[in-house]
Amino acid sequence: MSSVIDEVPRPSEQSGFGFFESSTTRSLIGGLSVAAAWSMVAAFTAFWPDRPESDWAYTGGFAIACGALALALAVAALAGVRFVAFQRLQRLSPWLFALAMFLAAWEAVTAKLGLLPLPFFPPPQAIVEVAIDDWGRLAEGIFASARLLATGYLLGAAVGFVTGVAIGWSRRAGYWIHPVLRFIGPLPATAWLPLAFFVFPSSFSASIFLIALATGFPVTVLTWSGIAGVKSAYYDIARTLGATQRFLVLKVAIPAAMPHVFVGLFMGLGNSFAVLVVAEMLGVKAGLGWYLQWAQGWAAYANMYAALLLMAFLCSGLITLLFSLRDRLLSWQKGLVRW
Amino acid sequence: MVAAIASDHAVRGSTLTLREVSHRFDLEGQPLPVLDRISLQVGRGEFVALLGPSGCGKSTLLRLVAGLDTPTAGSLLTEGREIEAPDPSRVVVFQDPTLYPWRTVWSNVALGLEARGLLRTHRGRIEDALRLVGLTGFANAYPHQLSGGMAQRAALARALVNDPKLLILDEPLGQLDSLTRIAMQAELVSLWQRSSFTALLVTHDVEEALLLAGRVIVLSDRPARIKAEVVNSQPYPRHRGDPHFVELRREVFEQLGLDEAW
Ligand SMILES: Nc1ncnc2c1ncn2[C@@H]1O[C@H](COP(=O)(O)OP(=O)(O)OP(=O)(O)O)[C@@H](O)[C@H]1O
Ligand SMILES: [Mg+2]
Repeated sequence: MSSVIDEVPRPSEQSGFGFFESSTTRSLIGGLSVAAAWSMVAAFTAFWPDRPESDWAYTGGFAIACGALALALAVAALAGVRFVAFQRLQRLSPWLFALAMFLAAWEAVTAKLGLLPLPFFPPPQAIVEVAIDDWGRLAEGIFASARLLATGYLLGAAVGFVTGVAIGWSRRAGYWIHPVLRFIGPLPATAWLPLAFFVFPSSFSASIFLIALATGFPVTVLTWSGIAGVKSAYYDIARTLGATQRFLVLKVAIPAAMPHVFVGLFMGLGNSFAVLVVAEMLGVKAGLGWYLQWAQGWAAYANMYAALLLMAFLCSGLITLLFSLRDRLLSWQKGLVRW
Repeated sequence: MVAAIASDHAVRGSTLTLREVSHRFDLEGQPLPVLDRISLQVGRGEFVALLGPSGCGKSTLLRLVAGLDTPTAGSLLTEGREIEAPDPSRVVVFQDPTLYPWRTVWSNVALGLEARGLLRTHRGRIEDALRLVGLTGFANAYPHQLSGGMAQRAALARALVNDPKLLILDEPLGQLDSLTRIAMQAELVSLWQRSSFTALLVTHDVEEALLLAGRVIVLSDRPARIKAEVVNSQPYPRHRGDPHFVELRREVFEQLGLDEAW
């Protein structure tokens, strides 16, 4: 229809026809079909009975949640006709649609048809059940994990940064630290685990040490290579303008090395997640990693999926946070590199 | 606006003496002689231009004067004292602008004041320097948002805010279009006249050398030796069409070995 309407010349001030502008129409159709998909998931969950031998307590709750989401999406799609802010939301439409399809399929092969073996593959409403019944312990786990991770990561990043600057700048520091780094750095931090748990007074402090170690190595190496790679012309300029050594380090070397430092910080963050989970499973007896293991031990697979999901949110949230910090600090790189 | 930069202190230019300065680089184990016993005496407030073929060693000589490198043989003195390290009284405008990409134009220009802890008291000079080079509207731009010529002008401003006693210019106007170039040449001369610093200018442009400098030193091919010295005592502003100017230009070209073209 749009091709016909587009060819009809019409005065632009007739704003009533704005509704038929092709992009608006397309995003409205997209939004409404996403809402339809979610209401289908809701209807399908609610009206197709679960397998008789199962007793999922939250099938209705899950259906209602999907229905509420469908309603919200429909409202947003209609609002998009008037408000540009909601139109942006339509970029997510294909993903939201795919997600609805995935949930429907999951629901079908578990609760409805029972095709997947049971304790291992619970239906979505089982995870909703965990979230509602066990949220206290999950929240505790998130808090414990976040605290351990933040302490270890910040400590490791700070020590790694200072060490990297020291080796990059001072020949003597390089002479002593470089071989140590070469020798010990490539060792995975988890290899220290048995030693750390007996040397440190508590498993918490041992885990902080391990996380800091895992973070510190890449941060050190990349800070160092960043500092070593600063163009000598930058120093020449500052030196002829009367810069002191301190100024050269703080105002020339470090800012010039910052893009490298951030690569190190990203790598360190990835490493720290791995060590966090292992440390929690083997020593700390708290946090999401420990919860995961506990859930597995009791064959509470729904709890395990819930914890995995939360962990994914935690990790990707932290990565996003680091990205926005980088975007803020290195905004001068925009237009200089592929952003 | 020139006055604002110049009148802060009555700067007196410093003297510069080069005694038999020779310099050699190591190029893959082979010695590469670049400067060959250069002797030069530059008086207080003089404007001297260095002219020579590409790769002959002009930038090398300027690095020695700045104190960034030490010569293989011979000595350089300013105000009778040996040049051993860089000093903010001798400011260099390098051939390559080399602005810090993480700083805006304004804070690039502020670099020298910041390094010496003068930013709070002399902040106004930055604005003046930017106005002088015509970059007022770009104070908050980042270097990658500038054209090559604008970057070069920013580098010039970065040097000028420091109120140098010896201004070392390595083809500072090389990337400018001819109109901007003529305007910047005039600004340089009037700035130099007002603040009476000593200026050492490297250029490829014979006319530019003769328009700006009181003395033009012609260097030979590598290793650079002083081949000739042409004095231009004409008053400023000088005019390209002036018969005496044309005569001097012919003389310099002759020294460069291009006489048959004229
Ligand atoms: N750090 C260095 N190591 C080795 N050789 C060098 C170094 N710097 C310069 N040279 C050599 O010294 C010679 C002179 O270089 P310089 O930069 O002084 O030339 P220039 O006269 O400024 O040339 P141009 O007019 O093209 O800028 C060149 O042959 C160059 O290869
Ligand atoms: Mg040069």
